[in-house]
Formats: sequence, structure tokens, C-alpha cells
Amino acid sequence: MNGGRQSRSRPSTDSKMKQERKVSMPLGIVGVAIHAPMRADQRSLEEAQYAVVQGALSDASLTMSDIDGIVVAGNDQLDGRAITLMAASGSVGGVGREILSTPSAAEHAFVLASLRIRAGQGRTQLVVAWSPIEVSSTSEALHLGTDPYFHRALPLNDLTAAGLQATTLEAAVPQLRAAAHSIVRKNREHGAIAYPDRALAPTEEAWIAGGRIVHWPLSDTMRRPHEFGLTAIVVMDDRSIAERGAQHVAWVRGIGWATEPSFIGDRNLAQLPSLAAAARQAFTSAAIDAPETAFDVAEVDDSTPYQELLAYEGLGFCRRAEWTRRVADGTFGRNGRLPVNLSGGACTFNPFYCAGLVRIAEAANQVRGRAGKHQRPGARLAVAHAASGFAMQYNTVVVMGSEQRGETG
Amino acid sequence: MNETRVGIIGIGQSHFKPRRDDANYPELVREAVRLALHDAGRELHDIEAIVYSLAPDALLGIGNAERLGVDAVGGAGKRFLRINTGGSTGLSSVAAAHAHIASGECDLVLAAGADKVGECGDSQTILNKIWDPIYERQLPLGTITMLAMSAVRAMQKYGMTEEDMARVTVKNRRHALGNPRAHLRKSVDIEDVMTSRYLAWPIKLLDACPQSSGGCSLVLASERYIRRHALDAVWITGVGHCSESYYIGDRMGNNFVADHADAHALALSFERSYRMAGIKDPVKEVHAAELYAPFSNTEFHAIEAAGLAPLGRSMSMLNEGCFQLGGAVPVNPSGGTLCTNAIAVSAMVRVAEAALQVWGRAGEHQVANARVAIASGNGGDHQFFGTMVIES
Amino acid sequence: MELLKRKESWNIGYEHALGETASWFFVQIRDHAQLYGRRCPKSGRVLVPPRSFSDQTLEPTTEWVKVGPGGRIETFTIVYEPFKSLPDPPYAFGYVLLDHADTAIGGYFRGVDLSDPDKAAAALAIGTRVITRFATERKGEVLDFWFEREG
Repeated sequence: MNGGRQSRSRPSTDSKMKQERKVSMPLGIVGVAIHAPMRADQRSLEEAQYAVVQGALSDASLTMSDIDGIVVAGNDQLDGRAITLMAASGSVGGVGREILSTPSAAEHAFVLASLRIRAGQGRTQLVVAWSPIEVSSTSEALHLGTDPYFHRALPLNDLTAAGLQATTLEAAVPQLRAAAHSIVRKNREHGAIAYPDRALAPTEEAWIAGGRIVHWPLSDTMRRPHEFGLTAIVVMDDRSIAERGAQHVAWVRGIGWATEPSFIGDRNLAQLPSLAAAARQAFTSAAIDAPETAFDVAEVDDSTPYQELLAYEGLGFCRRAEWTRRVADGTFGRNGRLPVNLSGGACTFNPFYCAGLVRIAEAANQVRGRAGKHQRPGARLAVAHAASGFAMQYNTVVVMGSEQRGETG
Repeated sequence: MNETRVGIIGIGQSHFKPRRDDANYPELVREAVRLALHDAGRELHDIEAIVYSLAPDALLGIGNAERLGVDAVGGAGKRFLRINTGGSTGLSSVAAAHAHIASGECDLVLAAGADKVGECGDSQTILNKIWDPIYERQLPLGTITMLAMSAVRAMQKYGMTEEDMARVTVKNRRHALGNPRAHLRKSVDIEDVMTSRYLAWPIKLLDACPQSSGGCSLVLASERYIRRHALDAVWITGVGHCSESYYIGDRMGNNFVADHADAHALALSFERSYRMAGIKDPVKEVHAAELYAPFSNTEFHAIEAAGLAPLGRSMSMLNEGCFQLGGAVPVNPSGGTLCTNAIAVSAMVRVAEAALQVWGRAGEHQVANARVAIASGNGGDHQFFGTMVIES
Repeated sequence: MELLKRKESWNIGYEHALGETASWFFVQIRDHAQLYGRRCPKSGRVLVPPRSFSDQTLEPTTEWVKVGPGGRIETFTIVYEPFKSLPDPPYAFGYVLLDHADTAIGGYFRGVDLSDPDKAAAALAIGTRVITRFATERKGEVLDFWFEREG
């Protein structure tokens, strides 16, 4: 290669270009399906994928012939297939179509589909992700995500990493355990209303606090075991939405996504610069100046309650000095100023790998007016947060509204 | 259609080897990234987003290995996602990077990845696991047997012979002599190929790709960034994907849409790329082709799918010298996948080599006056196809 | 410079749900030594192995159709190279279009002398008629049957 061929000029406009810019977001979510198959052995994974896609198409009043492209996400080790896209492709309409796969995270499939629409590469995209429980041990499968150089010999997996993060956070912020219990109670209560068939009882804080510690400081009552789930979303460009007169649209106003460094030891687990970066991208695009008051509803990662706390801070809902007070005064509860996880979150339904895409789907349903029993009346602006990887390595933020543009344009 | 043009401003490729005991996996990725950034005259902090190219995790022995690769690509705090479409991953990654820019989201995007196929013990064992556990996992399917079965059908349908296949190997090995980055750089003759041992009939050892280790990376930029910084670039003018049924048995029998002998969805993918690039007559308008073909027989249906030869005619045209350096449309002037196959990035290498051609930087394997080149990637069980048109 | 290496292996197990369609297919094999396909109403193709929907048309398949035991070879290969965790070579397998089916199903070919590749390839040439043979003790899996040339 020719080294140094290119000029190394650094005009001052560089930094301006790199600042988050307000980009045009001419797209909306027009169909959603969230499936929680009760009997995992009744259908093969491929059949369940087919069903969730048919569900989303039906919700959007579309057929597969309306779909220009598909982006999917699945985890090979959880699925037991060395390239899980292959067998899945047919089920989700991939034959004869453009289909891509972003195994890094389910929510990344939504990100890529949105980029493709904005790039003019397909006006209507289908986004699908799934999380089966056919593997003998999810944590063992996820443990294989550790590098063989330094970490494989350690018992590092999704749960222990979450434990490490929670410990770090408790050391940084006093009295956090009670707030954690309170968040679990809140989400279980929400879940009992949203999905009564699935929600776990009991919900009393004392019961939650009395749980058995499994990965310090996480108790068995703080999180729900992984379960089988799938979700599919149909995203469409604004021209198609107008042409079809599509109803129940969640207009995408901003998307941001960013990652933490690779090694847990290189991070301060009590901080999430990537979430701050993702929120900044999404909020700039959506012209959100005051996230603490802008949103009607939020769906955030709650695979442990500590994740939800970090989401409050990273999304600008409240500073950590306020955590305990805001949790106690019900700000984020069903009747509060900013209900968080009215769906019940992962405390109610934990399709581990695709839970992040479920947050986007649930938030979309809120502004579409399609959130059923857990609909926040009059919800017009929502934010979804998804986190994946050990101790929230990837963070994605999506702002959605019931109008294409807000009052501030 | 968004009008933002997307250019390639930097290319980084390892010198591919059977093993790289001197570097662990993230270090190989970093090596390719360093090369690409240097080539582009950019630094890591200039990059706004990364698309990470990684095919089956199992080949590396690390689940979601892209998480380990975040540091290698300077990803902390930045937009980052990973693509996996099997063997076509490398090209799909560049396509995803293209979308980051064409959408207006970013001006400067890095696509990167690496593979260490030689370290995994036995790639065919792992590649057997790409088949579904319901019907086909118990059969001894692997990519070699799957494509051997394609060869058998092409022999019956078009009269392709083992000598025809051998000529592809001979051509590509000769091309690789002019490519210092290729893994296999030893010329062979037809006799050598014909007397090499059978892996799965009719594919013999010298009809097959090697298991390579190394990395590849590209820096993509928006047109406005390129003009603002007065950079040298080549342009991605066409992008397309398409896929087949996963069921090989559906590509035969009665009333099939695609024949396993051919690459029907690859042809559709090329049609999409050509349409976007405004190419109407590939034979006349394409000057060089880097077509993903890990086995000699598969180069034929790739050539035909690219519209460079009518169905069934590529064998005789190859014999006439059409597809070698100096011929009408050189195919795989780099030596192709047959000489280098680091699975996670092989399809990105196709894009890189196509870019080098139209950039006039392909050195000893340069196609004279190349201004339009094409690249393709194949993934899954001959299932996912991605294509690109690159122009100067 | 001493370069170290570390040995690792993956040991994870799975229990994959086959679903009703595949389950019924395998139960028929196990209990009745009979193969079936499912018809896609839109394309008319009888899909073997059967699926509850066609990935080409995305329509649910509608009826069970008995297929085989005779069929014709659509493609084959003969493996001469050993691969870890795969059978010891040589062995032949490929795809067979069973009578009344429209797509081909994979299976081993037995009873062919594989010592001479060219002769073996000629014996398995596309179009060769085969018959499905079933194991006496069947488990309800793809290895319960294989194909042998007719006559």
C-alpha cells in the first residue's frame, strides 16, 4: 500500500462535522409483534420465527411482498446453529430478498434497518430477533464470549458481569439496595397489569428483599430467568407511510448507539459513557433539550434493577444523587411523571437476547396507542433504551413520537 | 434515493498466512485497521462509526468475538455494530458501512475484521453446524460437500469437467504470484490439480481454498468529506444483496426457482447492483471482477451470475483466456478466495481488491486501465449473496 | 521470544424442539418406515423434508403426501477426506427426489463400491434410480433411512 498518500490537513471545520448533527429521520414503525411462546416445545425455532413475522405484518396490514429488506439478529451459541441467519432466513421472508444479520445485538438490527431506509436502500424493512432457550446452559453459552487469552478461566458471564456492575454501583452510591428492590417491585406491578398471564407474583418489596443472593449483590428475586421470546418490527419510510395512509405510526425521531471498551477491567462499571453518547446522538436528532421532562413514557433495560438506575442517569431522567428519592416518590411509576417500563420490563418477560428490541417495540406501541392494558393515555413521545453484552457494553437509544416532527421541529 | 456518494479512501489487508502465532485475534484486527487508517491518512479518533466483520464465532472459539474487537477498532464511545452473513460477511459489512454514510448519519466509517481459520482445529466440523438440527445436521454436510454437489449438477447440466475446474485453479494461482498479500503463492499446472487427492468428489485438494489467517479493513467517507479534505478516493456506485432458500434440496427436483448448479440469487444481487450503478452491459462495461469462489467450480457460476458469460458458457470462455489477466475481463486477478480464505473478511478482500484495481494500485496484478470493477460475496450454504460495483 | 498457546474446546448441549410438522414426519419414519412431504398450495410443490410453511411462497403447507420409497438421484458427492467428528471416509451421500415429491431430501448412499472415484461417480450419476432402505431399529431421525440403487 502507498503509505501517507492522503493529505493530512485538519481544517477547523472537522470538529464541527464530528459533533452530533441533526439528521433527517423520515421513517416510522408501522407494525409490531412480541411473542412469548408458552410451550417452547410446540414449535421449532423456524416456525416461531415465521409466526412472529406474520404477526408483525398483520399488525402493519402488510404482506411479505411489501417488504424490501430484512435485518435479523440471533446469537449462534444460544441458537445452536453456527450461522443462525441461515435456517432463519426462509422463515422471515429472506428468499429472493435482501437480508442482513447483526448478531452484536438485537437492537442493532433496528439501527441498521433504519440506516438502510434513510440511505434509500429499501423503503420498508422488517426487523426480527429471537432468543430461544434450547441451550443446556445460557450462562455457559455466554461464558464462551470471554476471550481465551485472559478471561476464559474466570467465571465471567452475563450474570456475574451484572453482579460486578451492581457491586461497583453500590460502592459509588449509598443506600442503593433499597432502590433496586423498589424498581423490581415497580416493574412486577407494571407487569401484573400489562401481561397478567406472564407476570410473576409476589410483588411485595419485603419478599423481593428477602431473596437468595445468587451473584452478589443480585438475588434470585431481582431478575427473571431467561425465557423463549421473539419480536418483529416493520419500519417504513415517510413517503410509503403517506402513500398507504398507514395508521398507528411510531415516528422515529432520533437514534443513537455506542459501545464501551472490550475489557471489563478497563471500564469504570459505575459509569456508562457509551449511554451518554448514544443519548446525545438520539436527543440531538430529535431536538430534545430537557429529557427529564420531555418524555411521556420510557422503556429501558432492566435485566437487573441497577441497569435501570444507570438508564435513568444516562438518559437524563435524573442524576444519581436523586436516584433514591425519585424511586421512592414514584416519579417512574405508573402514576408518576415519567412511567418507566409499563410493560413490566425484563422482570415480566425476559427473552434475554432480544429483550433490547422488545424495549423498542414496547415504546413504539405506546406512541402508536397500541400498548393495550399498559397504554399510557395520551403518550406522544417515548424513549427506548436497549443494552447488550456484559455489564451493558452496548447501549442504544431510540426516540419515537406520534407525530413526525415535534413542536421544536 | 439519497444522493450522498460514498467513497473508499483507505485499504488495509494483512499478508495472509496459514497461522499467525505472533498475534492474537484482536491484534490481527488492529493490524488491518492500522494499515487502512495509514492508507487513508486518518486517525482512529476521526472515525465516527465502525462496522465489524465477523462470520461464525465458532471458528474463532470466542462467542460474540466482536466485543473483544471493540478496542482493536477504537470503538469505545462510538457507533458500533457487527455483521454476520456467513462467507459474504466482509462485503455485507462494507455495504452496511456504505449505508451509514449514504443515510447522512456519518461522514467517516471504518469496516474491519480478521480471521484465524487455521487455528480452529477443523473448520468443516464447525461448518457442519450451520445446517439445521432438525433435518440436516446428522448428514455429513460441510461447505466442501455442499459445493461438490453443485459441481456434480453443473457437470451434468453443462458438461463441466474436472479439467475445466483445474483451469480455474491454474489461472488463480498464477494471478496470486503477482499479489504479495495472497496466502497461496505457488503456481500449479492442470496435472498437479488433477492428481491431487479427492476431498469430496469431484473437488480435489487443489480445487479448494486454504484456511487463512489475517485481517482486512476499509475506510469509507462521504463525498463532502472527501472534497473538503481533498482526498483521493474510488467510489461505491452499486450495492445489492439477495438470497436463496436455505434448503439445498429445494434447488433441484421439480419446478425449482434456483438450481444448485447455478447461483441464481447471485445473479439477482448483481442485477440490483448494476441497476444502482447504471451498468447495462457488464461484458462491455466491467473491466475487472473479484468474485467470491472458494472452490474452483464455483467461479463458473459466479462469472455467469455476474453476466460476464451466458449460462454454461463460462468454462469454454475461460479456456479461451477471457478471464485471466490480459484477457477480456480478468476474474480474480488477486488470486481470489481460492488462494486466500480468511472467512470473516474474504468478501471484504474482494471489495478491497476491486477497489485497488480501479485505483490503479494493484501492482503486479493490475488490470490495465481498469475503471469499473465488481466484487461479490457468498455466504451460508450458497445462500446469501452480496455484490458491489466500484468505480474510479 | 516464547510464543504460548492455550487449548480450549466448546462443550454446550442443546435440546431443539422439532415442532409438530417435523415430529410427525419422524414418527412416521420410526413407526411405519414411511416418508411424507407437505404440499405448498401456492406453488404446488411437495416439499421434502416437510415444513409447515414454504420459504419460497411463505404460505402454510396444506396436505401430507406419501413419497418414495423409490426416487432418483439429483446430486451426490463421495467423501475421501477425513474430517473431525464426521464419519470415516470413504462415504457417499447426496439428495434424492423421491417419487411424488418436488424437492429432494438428503441421505447416505450405500452399497456402492467407492474405491474408484470415477466408477463410483458413474454409478451415482444424476438420474440414477434409488430405493429407500430403513433401519430395523429406528429412532425417528434422518439416519433411520438411506438410499441404495435399484436393481
